[in-house]
Amino acid sequence: MKKLSYAAFATVFAALPLHAEELTVVTAGDQNMVDYINQYLAPLFEKTYPGNTVRAVGTGAGDAGSQKIVERFDAQAGAKAEKWDTDVAVVHEKFVGPMVTKNYLDKYRGDIDTGKLVTRDNAKMALGTNVEGYVMPMFNSQTAVAYNPALVANPPKTYAEIAEWAKAHPKQFGYNGIKGGASGVSFVMGWIYAFGEGDAKVLMNGPFKEEETKKWDAAFKSLAAFTTNATLTPGNAGTLDLLSRGEIAMGPVWVDMFYSWKADGRLPPDMKLVLPAPGMPGQPMHYVIPQNAAHKDLAEKFVALATSPKVQAEGIVKRFNWYPGIDASHVKAELDATTWNKLFVDISPEDLATKGKPFPIAPYNTAILEAYEKSVK
Amino acid sequence: MGAFRPSLSVLWWVPRGIIFGLMAFFIFGPLFNMLLWTVTEKWYFPHALPLEYGFSAWKRVFEPRGGALESLGNSLVVAVLTVAVSLALAVPAGYALARLKLPLRSLILLAFLIPQAFPNLTVYVNVARIFYEIGLNGTIAGVVLVHVSHGLVYAVWIATAAFSAIDVELEQAARSIGAGAFRAFRDITLPLAAPGLLASAIFVFLESLDEFTGSYFVGAPDVNMLPLLLYTAGSGGNYQVASITALLLLVPSLIFMLIVERFLKADVLSRVGR
Amino acid sequence: MQSHSPLNFAGADSPAGHDRRAIGFGGVVSPLVGEMAGRPEGAFIGRSATVLSCTNNFTPSLLLVPSMPRRLLGLLLVLPALGVIALLFILPLVMSAIGAFQLDGGWGLGNFTKSIDLYAKDIVFTLGIVSLSTALIGAGAIAIGGYLTLGAHPVAVSILRFLYRWPMFIPFIVVGQILRTFLAKNGMMNNTAVSLGLMTPLDAMSFLDWRGIVIAFVWKQTPFVALLVAGAMASVNREGIEAAVNLGASRLRILFEIIVPQVITTLSVGLILSFVTMMSVLSVPLMINAQSPTMLTADIAFRVNAYGDYGVANALGLISLLLASSVAWIYLKISMKERA
Repeated sequence: MKKLSYAAFATVFAALPLHAEELTVVTAGDQNMVDYINQYLAPLFEKTYPGNTVRAVGTGAGDAGSQKIVERFDAQAGAKAEKWDTDVAVVHEKFVGPMVTKNYLDKYRGDIDTGKLVTRDNAKMALGTNVEGYVMPMFNSQTAVAYNPALVANPPKTYAEIAEWAKAHPKQFGYNGIKGGASGVSFVMGWIYAFGEGDAKVLMNGPFKEEETKKWDAAFKSLAAFTTNATLTPGNAGTLDLLSRGEIAMGPVWVDMFYSWKADGRLPPDMKLVLPAPGMPGQPMHYVIPQNAAHKDLAEKFVALATSPKVQAEGIVKRFNWYPGIDASHVKAELDATTWNKLFVDISPEDLATKGKPFPIAPYNTAILEAYEKSVK
Repeated sequence: MGAFRPSLSVLWWVPRGIIFGLMAFFIFGPLFNMLLWTVTEKWYFPHALPLEYGFSAWKRVFEPRGGALESLGNSLVVAVLTVAVSLALAVPAGYALARLKLPLRSLILLAFLIPQAFPNLTVYVNVARIFYEIGLNGTIAGVVLVHVSHGLVYAVWIATAAFSAIDVELEQAARSIGAGAFRAFRDITLPLAAPGLLASAIFVFLESLDEFTGSYFVGAPDVNMLPLLLYTAGSGGNYQVASITALLLLVPSLIFMLIVERFLKADVLSRVGR
Repeated sequence: MQSHSPLNFAGADSPAGHDRRAIGFGGVVSPLVGEMAGRPEGAFIGRSATVLSCTNNFTPSLLLVPSMPRRLLGLLLVLPALGVIALLFILPLVMSAIGAFQLDGGWGLGNFTKSIDLYAKDIVFTLGIVSLSTALIGAGAIAIGGYLTLGAHPVAVSILRFLYRWPMFIPFIVVGQILRTFLAKNGMMNNTAVSLGLMTPLDAMSFLDWRGIVIAFVWKQTPFVALLVAGAMASVNREGIEAAVNLGASRLRILFEIIVPQVITTLSVGLILSFVTMMSVLSVPLMINAQSPTMLTADIAFRVNAYGDYGVANALGLISLLLASSVAWIYLKISMKERA
């Protein structure tokens, strides 16, 4: 009955879907992700493989953007569509696991040459789910604490120092809680890594044990006290916004967003970053190809090009100032030292290696967020 | 409320000036802020105004690949179609709700409110799923239908109000001098309800131009709409691109409003001249 | 001619009733045009307080198709529009709303108890914010409409007419953005006040909390209601007003005792549409203040994006729907009672 009415409906409103022979790339993230594809990658791809065109669709910043891609896949899977309308998707790490579990993705990494240029752990596991073979990292992003050197001469180097500093400077530290985007979430995860009584390594690598979740009470108590002294900002962009207008002196941000705000003139050029010990989480943005992509071969060619050392060097590092997705050694060789070092002005490669952490595995992630909702109000 | 005694008109400009000045500041301040962002190259604390002006963000928006013009075109086509379909559906429905005896009338009116009342984040996955099944995804028709479901609340509620407000006797009078039912409706009732209907058309138009979630799930990637660009830029805090996009959306809304006003005015004038 | 409405002040005098008919035939003047031309008369939706509730007090001779049962005809006319809503929104809504009652091991109200546990404060906060905004929007709309209708000085009236409509055209997501940069501690509003010497930078405070959300809602929605209300006020009979003026009534009294009662239905419809719209806006709370307590839409987005938890998200959605429709329901019941 339901089917019938819809069929009748469809005939009434029948209109031809526009089937263009082109590669559709759907990307989560800020405007600069769409810009990256439109301004750099797509023209390059079209030049490399003449006759094909690329179109990019942005789905919005942060987790919400990736969630919209998952839902798009959900809808097509639910409708049992044979050919999906997405050829390549760029999503946050957190959303790759569910996509793999739901069998949405193609295991394509073995098919492309650049597949072996990635050895980092986060291309194998995504928050505890084995995703090896399904993903190619576009770039790695990191959260860090941005500060205004004019207001903070000696930035705190550890979470403990941040807590002290915030106490001495009420409302000068700002973060966006957990509902406004992942930079605040990341700060909270780092707090639990630092002050939780369990082993942070277990949180990052598993296995999930119920008793671990009982070890955060003191950490959340201190975080609640810390938060009353801090300014709560509206979203990832909100933290940057308040930093840019001098209302807060310090706050956790995504490094890539920080640089694009600087590049767009929305942040004073003298702002700096610090990665506090014991570390804050970062995550890669992954290229994935749906199993039912309409142009699978072309999609693989696209990802192969996007993850080639030259493109990673020229596009990801030089033009957009992102940490490369494939192993750094392959990328570094393509660049002169000055360009390469620009990536590490504030945060040294050593810092990144020792203090750049993954997010906790999914069940801990959820448990921490729920505990935050209950205890920090 | 300024003007109670016109005889003291000069003095009254003092409170009027203060109130209008404050209103202007609160209405145009944020708008001016938006305009400034469209031409900002650099703007941060402690500068009250942009440090550098330029049009690089405009270049970014209007890059041929960005598809801003195509999206604007799609948005306009969809908005106009949405208004047409919504009104076509709402006029009979509003008439019936206002004039005819209907069972469960309140429930029917409530039903039209639902698309606006339920936060629709979780609903569009299902809408998209249904549309994928029947092949409406990625079509203009699909996007129009989704927008219609949102626009109908304005169209139906306001149309019902508009028809209710018209004296039944007017129609009766027409019928008593021999006009058919449809003619009485077309010549008497509809023109009288037109202002209300057209006001609702403006709201439906605005609603359609601003709609993002449904446009993404049902339209993209084949039919891209301007709010998609706006949303991506806005949610990431790209003030320049978001402001330019908003400005682009503002222009058709204003033009649509002016057309409605012009159309009505001409209509009134011609009636007066008769 | 008799008025249908017990509240219709103007219709109580027969000359006024006659006049109404004349206007009805002679000029279709919209609120927009009425305002542009400075002519207050016109046939708009708020003509009488019976709007939305006038159905059964007219003679059978009006039947469009006498042979067809009236109920059936009415249903036929409503059906296309209702069908669109039912198929395109209510059915998909039911598909997801069922999820609100689905738990790991079967059916139950677990998602609702969890919603209340975690978000009771946000539910109250949302209701408070939206109710306060609705009240302010109503007051603003009456003030604007009243001035447009009763304002004595044509120049002042046209200034106001030019001013008030602009925010209506700005999409919510941009409203969030521009008010964030406007209302922030070092935003444009405080900067202007400081540079005018009205306050010192130290006194500056941020409005980016619940006040920011209320300001954003009022900013965006007041023109919408004012447009509807001004149109309705414009169609209120002038003679009644002028008679009252001649009797020495103050304009404020005329506004509240003569005009507002006659446009109360239009006002209510506008406010309900606003109420419902504000309940479902996500970008404003997200961009101005997404902290605890926050609005339900932000919680729904958070449940979906952070946990992929559609159960609680849908439960919250249903709670939000319940709140919004009960307000509408109360209105519909009251208007029915008045009609009876």
